Amino acid sequence: MSIHNSINKGKAITVTIDGKVCQSTFGKTILEIARENDIYVPTMCYLTKVLPIGSCRMCVVEVEGVDGMILSCQEKATDGAVIHTNNADIYEERQNIMKLYNVNHPLECGVCDKSGECDLQNKTMEFGLEAQAFTARDQHRPVENWGHVSYDPALCIMCEKCVRVSTEITGDEALKVKFGGYGSTIINTKQEKNYASLGEAAAVCPVGALVSTDFKYTSNAWELTKIPSSCPHCGGGCQMNYEVKHDRIYRVTNNFEFSTLCGAGRYGFDYANEGVTKDTETFAKAIDAFKNAQTVIFSSQVSNEEALILQKLKEKIGLKLVSHEARAYQKFMQAYASVSGKNLYNGTLKALSESSAVIVMGTRINDDSPTVKYHINMASKWHRARVAYMHPLEDKEMQNIVTQFIKYEVGSEEGAAALLVDTLLKEVEVPQAIRSFIDDLDIGNLSAESNIGEEELELLRKSLIKKTGFSLVVGSDLYAHPRAAQIAKLLALLEVYAGFNVICVPPAGNAMGISLICDLNDEVEGKTVGYNVPADFTLSALGDGDLDMPAMNQQEGTLTTVDKRVVPMHVALPYGGYVLNDIANCLGVNAEYTIDYTKALPKDKGFETIEFDSLPDYFDSVGNEYRGYLLKSQKVPVKRALDDIAELEGFDGAIIYNCNPTEQFSAFTAKSKLLKDEAALLGSQQFAAATKLQDGDNITYVLDDVKFNRVFKIDTSMKGTIALNPTFDMGLSSSLLSSYRFSRLEFERMGK
Amino acid sequence: MSGIVFSTWRDEFIDNRGKPSDEWVESGFKLPETYHGDKNSKAFIGWDGVAIFDEDIDAVELASQYAAQYQEYSEACGRCAPGRWGGRILYDLLDKIARGEGTHDDIAHLKEISKTMMTTSKCEIGKTVPKPILDLMEYYNEQFNTCIDQQMPSKHYNGDTNYIAKVTAPCTDMCPAHVDIPAYIEGVRDMIFTDSLAATRQTMPLAHTCGRVCPHPCEDACRRMNLDEPISIMELKRIGADYETDHELPWLHPHEPKPLRNDGKKVAIIGAGPAGLTAAYYLALEGIESHIFEELPVNGGEVAVGVPEYRMPIGKYQKDIDLVLEMEAVSITNNCRVDAQKLKEIEAEYDATLLGFGARLSKKVRAENENPKMGGYWGAISMLDKVNLWHKYQIGAPASNELKDKVVVCVGGGFTSMDVVRCSIREGAKKVIMLYRRDEKTIIRNTTYEEYHEAVEEGVEFIFHSAIEEIFDDGENITKLKVNRFELVPDPDGGRAQLVKIEGADFEIECDYLIPAVSQALDTQILPDEWNIEMTSWNSILTNGKDYMTSREGLFAAGDCEYGPMTIVNAVGQARRAASVISRYIYDGKCTLTDDEIMEDHLNKLRVYDKKEKITGWMPGLPRAVSEKLDVDERKDNNKEVNLGFTGEEAIAEAERCMRCYYISMVAV
Repeated sequence: MSIHNSINKGKAITVTIDGKVCQSTFGKTILEIARENDIYVPTMCYLTKVLPIGSCRMCVVEVEGVDGMILSCQEKATDGAVIHTNNADIYEERQNIMKLYNVNHPLECGVCDKSGECDLQNKTMEFGLEAQAFTARDQHRPVENWGHVSYDPALCIMCEKCVRVSTEITGDEALKVKFGGYGSTIINTKQEKNYASLGEAAAVCPVGALVSTDFKYTSNAWELTKIPSSCPHCGGGCQMNYEVKHDRIYRVTNNFEFSTLCGAGRYGFDYANEGVTKDTETFAKAIDAFKNAQTVIFSSQVSNEEALILQKLKEKIGLKLVSHEARAYQKFMQAYASVSGKNLYNGTLKALSESSAVIVMGTRINDDSPTVKYHINMASKWHRARVAYMHPLEDKEMQNIVTQFIKYEVGSEEGAAALLVDTLLKEVEVPQAIRSFIDDLDIGNLSAESNIGEEELELLRKSLIKKTGFSLVVGSDLYAHPRAAQIAKLLALLEVYAGFNVICVPPAGNAMGISLICDLNDEVEGKTVGYNVPADFTLSALGDGDLDMPAMNQQEGTLTTVDKRVVPMHVALPYGGYVLNDIANCLGVNAEYTIDYTKALPKDKGFETIEFDSLPDYFDSVGNEYRGYLLKSQKVPVKRALDDIAELEGFDGAIIYNCNPTEQFSAFTAKSKLLKDEAALLGSQQFAAATKLQDGDNITYVLDDVKFNRVFKIDTSMKGTIALNPTFDMGLSSSLLSSYRFSRLEFERMGK
Repeated sequence: MSGIVFSTWRDEFIDNRGKPSDEWVESGFKLPETYHGDKNSKAFIGWDGVAIFDEDIDAVELASQYAAQYQEYSEACGRCAPGRWGGRILYDLLDKIARGEGTHDDIAHLKEISKTMMTTSKCEIGKTVPKPILDLMEYYNEQFNTCIDQQMPSKHYNGDTNYIAKVTAPCTDMCPAHVDIPAYIEGVRDMIFTDSLAATRQTMPLAHTCGRVCPHPCEDACRRMNLDEPISIMELKRIGADYETDHELPWLHPHEPKPLRNDGKKVAIIGAGPAGLTAAYYLALEGIESHIFEELPVNGGEVAVGVPEYRMPIGKYQKDIDLVLEMEAVSITNNCRVDAQKLKEIEAEYDATLLGFGARLSKKVRAENENPKMGGYWGAISMLDKVNLWHKYQIGAPASNELKDKVVVCVGGGFTSMDVVRCSIREGAKKVIMLYRRDEKTIIRNTTYEEYHEAVEEGVEFIFHSAIEEIFDDGENITKLKVNRFELVPDPDGGRAQLVKIEGADFEIECDYLIPAVSQALDTQILPDEWNIEMTSWNSILTNGKDYMTSREGLFAAGDCEYGPMTIVNAVGQARRAASVISRYIYDGKCTLTDDEIMEDHLNKLRVYDKKEKITGWMPGLPRAVSEKLDVDERKDNNKEVNLGFTGEEAIAEAERCMRCYYISMVAV
């Protein structure tokens, strides 16, 4: 009996639901199997993407041979079970529960934000309740404004969905249930943080209890037109809907049942380039600028189709294409592919969320990619995943998820990657050349230079013993690293030989799409045209360039996401000016619409030949995602030659790290009025002492020829001599930042 | 007054109303007719029915107060729609009737709400609360009708009856430390692991330890057993503790420790084992200072030096120890052996003294020529001390110096003997034999299936129905043993089967070591003779088992020195109660129990778990999760923790099997 019983998951079973014979697997709940088979069971608290909550009891069913009513959302179906989801008794119990839900719930639907999309309203009708059958003494509890969201306890039905999302999905762990029978309520234990991720908690609220503060009392739900799209900010490409009336976006919603949207996607929507008309004169200048230019320099805020147009222009008129972040990522992935043999990393977000151990390296992931952080959190909550977080800077926001913080010295990423390879491939069979490479590593020296203790690595190795399902998440610290190619090759070994699910998180925007579509150049040459980057002639979706361009929410097209998916964006707001395709048409690259290029995206990189209008955009009833399509990984030649580890270039003294606050990614999120982040240089007391800076000092410094004027602020939660330097407020210039994310701070004072 | 007027408790129905006293039927249950001391109960009402002891009972108020208790019970509820609103409506309607403002429609509504609660509530508390209320409405309907028809308050409405309630669960009741098990399991289910740990620590500071090496008597009282298999209660406990450790969180206490009282009151604790640590912890949470005197250089008592690393890694136990010792109110002196003289000095200096020094003398096997001084004769406690001090603290020398390539015979049958044989394997013994008087089934019952099975896998040879008759030596060392064999002969009269020696079946074993692990006794030299401390018949310190004061005023005892060799969880439960009593004793010089403790004892006597109860509303046939263990080859030559614990998925699946069998009971006095 010491047999490890991993609950027989996956064993084939047959159950009968309402007379229908259903094939499924053990481990699934009765409700899941019912939904797979399109059998309706009413619920109030069920949310597919979290584990069963079981608070509403609406989903009770009867099982032959089992006494009492069974909670179908939580109870797993057993082989041979004969289940009835509805009969007079069940209906009566459900109706009674609805009567209870309506106890003292103010039926003031006319002035409730949720009216028209309220589960309570819908179920009250469904169960034919014409009056409030019971009453209890009312409790007078005021509405609470928590910042991005507001909470009205009087409307709350205590389904606990919001708490589950806060715990299991976003991991902010701000919301808790305050137990107390009839007086139970939801509390926000981290109000001072005003997490924008609570927008997701509001999204799942079935009633009008937790709502977006900004949207409240602005429109009836049914007056808004839903425009499905994908979020362009971080590279996650999350599913979203713009909800629009009279050419204004009132709010962003999402398919919260199955997918999740972070605060940037939800609140960073009002960045459209408005009031633009066709200025033929400037347009002519733009055409001339292209004709005279040798280089087009562009940011990551372009669609796959626009990237392809630029590539075609390169092929047609010999322009050089420069896009710094995408180029660094492209080179990193090319080196990675030379070891893995495939042009894409193998990792997926789903596999990440199912991992029992996760290593995060070279990214401040909570800020760099909320959706990836959410999936790490899911692994932590659902699988008690060990999460090793390797970075020069600790992140307090990750403490509830991280089980081992491994700090390495700034610049020592190559050594850190080599140590990881040594640790994780110790007991794995690898080709002789790689084994010799590993055996030749000077571990003592690497450990000393990177400052990673051998005991830390041993602890890491031990924590993986007997576990299955490992993920490695790496990010932008590595892509512009002087040793990026070598780091990429080292990490690819973990995909190939240690079975890791590896995700190389692309930089913000559509850097991944660009890196696959464009043949990019390293250096700018001659006259330049910039697209969302300052240049001799500038096209700008922010409205501050020479010729206006549409913002991402004003154009059709596709994005390539961290999950290796090509997803569609639709037009939320009208745009009256010229688009890149218009320019291309004047330069001999002809197509009627930008989206005509969707089907022409490069097949040899994994794209499919499919018309934009044929792209699917939905989740099925059990949550399988059908949004656009998944890229197909392409074979590439393998060349597993590893270099010797380079000497570490020391980074002494005060260092700054380019890193945006959690919901900021670019000039476009910066423009959104609901995302109000201050752009200050944030450092610890220790940093202040090292630089002799005081809280509130104004300083100026230059990174990659971009000049920053910043207020220095002390953040008491930080430690060490690395400060956080945001870049989202730098407008179009932020795309010029192309070096390694850490740099020594050399500053001048500007006085208070 | 005495006797039961009326009862619907469990499957019993008694109605003595209006009967002459010689015809009164008695109850088969130990119902709390007497509340405490000379105070009688008027009624007892709970999940399984209602019992009335006083003919003048106000049934309407009793029902409404029971609903009120449920309504106010804030920890368990508010987690499902029927319970949350149903509970409130029950109370509102019952109180309306009791006030004299009710209608017959209210009665109908009460019945309707009760049915929904009983069918669809999330936990047993919501499912069971309506039962006794419906009983009262049925059998005392005239009282309800009077209130309604005459629009008058119930007969003693707002009178001087006291209603004392207590929430329990079968597992909680059975646990000697009364851990709020459904709450810590719910914390795992909700994936709010800090809530899980906080729930455990309300009554159990050693969460890492009792999440690993508890014999889990709670699992024998798990209602899930009535449906399929009990919940793996013990293993779910370590999830919260591991979370705190893994994420390097600050200590999570069940409530913010109260500030030091600084009133000069202080408590002495003898021994830093489970009992001493537990008492120090709960005193410290109340802001009461204690000082621990510990004989060994290391802390944790027998669990540290007795329980092997592969079962209870010291790194984890040390977390439990540090939790206690880092409390501001706790201080400790190590390497301090307390003898009778020292104890007298301590007693004079401190306001109360708790003995928690355990039972650390190995008893003899009672064979001919048994000489503890003979080479090769090694008491289990001292053998395990040596093994553990070396492996856990690098104190002393490895026991492999003695045991490598030797033949070791252990006599035992309990956990200690299992530790001896499995450690001997790990120290490189050539052959390890366990002699046990009884059979395989009994050894499994005394320990656990896993423990026995793992020992067999590791190569321990078990010889059942055997006992040593004589020990042979060469003047310096033991050389061989003469062993008798027994058989179990059933009693023809149906009594307990007898062990009878099989004539002619004796055999000899050549061996290098004999390690007796039959039982342990306490070292009574600590007790000054002139105190004449009363002892039990098995020579442990006597208390009344409720307040844990010894026959000497101000001297308390808990754990193995009170009970005799028993479990960690038993020591924890006793010490927590003792700490509670001490926290009052040091101020008023009296040994008192709180209402909650009185109710705890009543319920324990009544027995909460009913193994015959039929479970409804849950899907049967969902298997109990079993955690992965190291393979025998991966573990038998080292001290790696054998049990790898649950994966997250297993833990949550297991937590979802928990039926949250909370019950509420109430006494009217």
